[in-house]
Amino acid sequence: MNNLFEKWKTKIPKYSEVHKDLFASLSQKFGAEGEKKINFGKHFSTNYELYTYAFFLGLYNDEYSPIPDNEKKTDFSHHIQHWGSKSSAIRKDFTNLQENMFIALIAKTDINLIDLEKGELDEDQAIKLILKTMESYTNGGLILIKEKLEENPNYFLQPTSFLNLILEENVA
Amino acid sequence: MIIRKIQIDNYLCYYDTNSFVLSEGLNIILGENGEGKTKFFEAVDWLFNGENEDLELLVSAKKLSETEIGESFRVRVSMTVEQYGDIKIITRSFVAKKEKENQCSTSSFMIEGIEENSLGERSQVDGTTLLDRVFPFQIRKYSMFKGEADLNIFESDNALVNLINLFSEAKHYDKYSEKGAFLREKAEKAVEDSAKLDRKNANLYKKLEGEISLLEKEKAKFEVHLNSTDDEIRKIEGNLQLAESHVKNADALETLNKRIKEIEEKISFLNGRIDENYTTSLFDENWILVNFEPYHKEFAEKVSEHSKKRRELQSEFDKEKGIKLGEKKAKADLLNNAVPLPTGVPSKAHMEEMLNDQICKVCNREAKKGSDAYEFMMERLKTYLESQVANETDDEEYEQLFKLDYTNRLENLSISHEDNLKNLRSIRTNIKELFEFNNDRKKEIEELNEQLEKEKSERERILGNSSVAEEKLIDVLKNYNAWQDDLKNRNREQLRYTSEYEKLEAQLKIKKEEKDKIDTDSANSFLIKTRNILRDIETIFLDTKEKKFDEFIEKLQSKSNHFFKKINIDAFTGTIVFTRRNKISRTIVEVELQEDGRVFYKPNQSLLTSMHISILFAISELATETKEENFPMIFDAPTSSFGENKTAQFLNLIFETENQKILLIKDFLNNDKTTKALSIKNEFENVRRDKAFWVKLERPFDPNNLKTINTQVITL
Repeated sequence: MNNLFEKWKTKIPKYSEVHKDLFASLSQKFGAEGEKKINFGKHFSTNYELYTYAFFLGLYNDEYSPIPDNEKKTDFSHHIQHWGSKSSAIRKDFTNLQENMFIALIAKTDINLIDLEKGELDEDQAIKLILKTMESYTNGGLILIKEKLEENPNYFLQPTSFLNLILEENVA
Repeated sequence: MIIRKIQIDNYLCYYDTNSFVLSEGLNIILGENGEGKTKFFEAVDWLFNGENEDLELLVSAKKLSETEIGESFRVRVSMTVEQYGDIKIITRSFVAKKEKENQCSTSSFMIEGIEENSLGERSQVDGTTLLDRVFPFQIRKYSMFKGEADLNIFESDNALVNLINLFSEAKHYDKYSEKGAFLREKAEKAVEDSAKLDRKNANLYKKLEGEISLLEKEKAKFEVHLNSTDDEIRKIEGNLQLAESHVKNADALETLNKRIKEIEEKISFLNGRIDENYTTSLFDENWILVNFEPYHKEFAEKVSEHSKKRRELQSEFDKEKGIKLGEKKAKADLLNNAVPLPTGVPSKAHMEEMLNDQICKVCNREAKKGSDAYEFMMERLKTYLESQVANETDDEEYEQLFKLDYTNRLENLSISHEDNLKNLRSIRTNIKELFEFNNDRKKEIEELNEQLEKEKSERERILGNSSVAEEKLIDVLKNYNAWQDDLKNRNREQLRYTSEYEKLEAQLKIKKEEKDKIDTDSANSFLIKTRNILRDIETIFLDTKEKKFDEFIEKLQSKSNHFFKKINIDAFTGTIVFTRRNKISRTIVEVELQEDGRVFYKPNQSLLTSMHISILFAISELATETKEENFPMIFDAPTSSFGENKTAQFLNLIFETENQKILLIKDFLNNDKTTKALSIKNEFENVRRDKAFWVKLERPFDPNNLKTINTQVITL
């Protein structure tokens, strides 16, 4: 049984090193929950949360920005399938989010499914295209976040800031 | 007696000659701190009671600095009084001779008296004698008061008694009661001697005397117990009353603390209910999918389009290949040549469900087991299941158009997410509802916070009012309970002592009667009669003396309260109560403030001052009645705890009292903050008085150089 979704999940998408600072400042790597987290200015519990967020933000705003070839890419060594803590009592599972991301990626990625099913297009090649879409929207989202921060460094101190960006759509 | 004039020459800050021409009623002397008010008071006090020592300390530094070495000048305080229409002048003075720079010697200390008769003829008399005549020492003692604390001359046990004795008629009975006691004792002795002549009686007498003396001793012992218990009870009651206000506070504090805790808990609970982890909800509540619907649609369309195209291609392929054509054609015919649905649609699970329920949920018609419709669905499920197994063999057998199948899974994903669409659509509502919920909670919290602030400031107020801090209040409570126990015990003791005391008195009475009986039986009847008469006389004198004393106290009390009520308009309406207590061998008078018959142990300073001044006025009035003469009273800063408003009221009241008063106060002066200039406030115009002065240092002056200090007396 061939399944693009299952295959995609085993991948680790990358982001441009240009945005490394964003991950360092906005996502939480070293403990601290709740209020303390916000006080540190860290709104995202994990790097993949910020990644997921940036992806949807980019998607909703149609910010498709492929990472330029000259930019170094990096990842956080975490397979998509492991995104979303399934063991935590307070956090919920990300399966549904993963599926929706995938749905969006299929919708937005120009893959010739006929060719794929005929075997004329390599599956890995298809996955590569999907990942490129993912990375491009995410990159777009990260750029939007960065612009917001450059406009006003305190923009994200409000607990509603990230939510508002998503609700607003077309913030650009 | 009225003081007509006080003249101060070269006395400390009073350089050269300064005259205060006084009026009969209320004289007010205003002055800032350190500008000559108290020096005036001290100068008068020196005139009344001054002695011939440390005189160089009284010399005006300014005068001394202006005097040539070897030259001398007189330092003098003089008082002109009018008594029964005659003028008398009393002057206390000494000569200061400048020896060196800033140094002088003193000599010729004297107190002079001048009397002027109605014809205006003046004659020199002894100053000390004249002073005592116009202003007796005992009265002088109760005429001058420096500061509020000084007003309390009744703290000592004797002061009031002495004062009362001075003015009440009781003292006239002193000599009679003394004489009476002396005569009675003589008569007793005579009776005794007469009775003892009989030997038998003498023994019995001796025995009785021994017994009586023993009982008297025992009685005295209980009297001491009773007195000390009484003192203790009063002390404990005082403590209890002081503690009571704190206890009230402690109680109120406890209630408040409980309320504050409740509010804080509510706030914390509400805070807990507010979920502001909006960013986290983006993931956990899938809020991030809020705008996702179009993408899902795009995906679904893409998949179905692909699926359709795939089937078309397959169909074409099949046709071209001619494989299983008949079967496929039949199927195609059945569908009016439409493209058949993929074998997996409806899904296996849906097919099984429909078969199980015997309903075709596509056309919503019954499909009973065995019916065509049922068989059709069964057939379709079979085809699907076969398609899942058959592929591998098919692959080998036939050339395949599509080597791989992704469509099936994509279609399943599309279908399963159709159901999720309604969830996506409700996200916005959910967010809105949560925001509303949070906002409502925040409003509640805000209201609670306001309430909390109120409660906390109430707590501040209680803790601020109470001189003891919060944790000490708990100690007060503890002591309070201990004191209450003490009080109970002491009251019990007092009861016991009283009953013992009464028993002893009864026994004594019996013994004395026995003794009297021996007397009556054996002593000379004339002696007995004489003794009885003398006993009665002594009793009459003693009783009269006590009656007169009590009468005076009663008058004093009613007069004091009359003033007290006036001074305390719109304020505490307690009563001044004078109580005579007979301690062993002496009488004391205590003055207390009572409220509803209960002693008010810890009045504030302002109340105390009101009380003391009321008593002093009452005494002054009573003195006027008994001596048929007025005496002046001089108060230095008696009302510092009053505040300007109450002082004004107080002065207006004093204005109405009869005798002469000189009051030194620092109220009604305005100190300009920028220019530092002093002025009299307009409010002073509304203060009723007979005469007013303003004592004020001559400007400019150097506060560090006494030579520049000179108090001017300005008559207002």
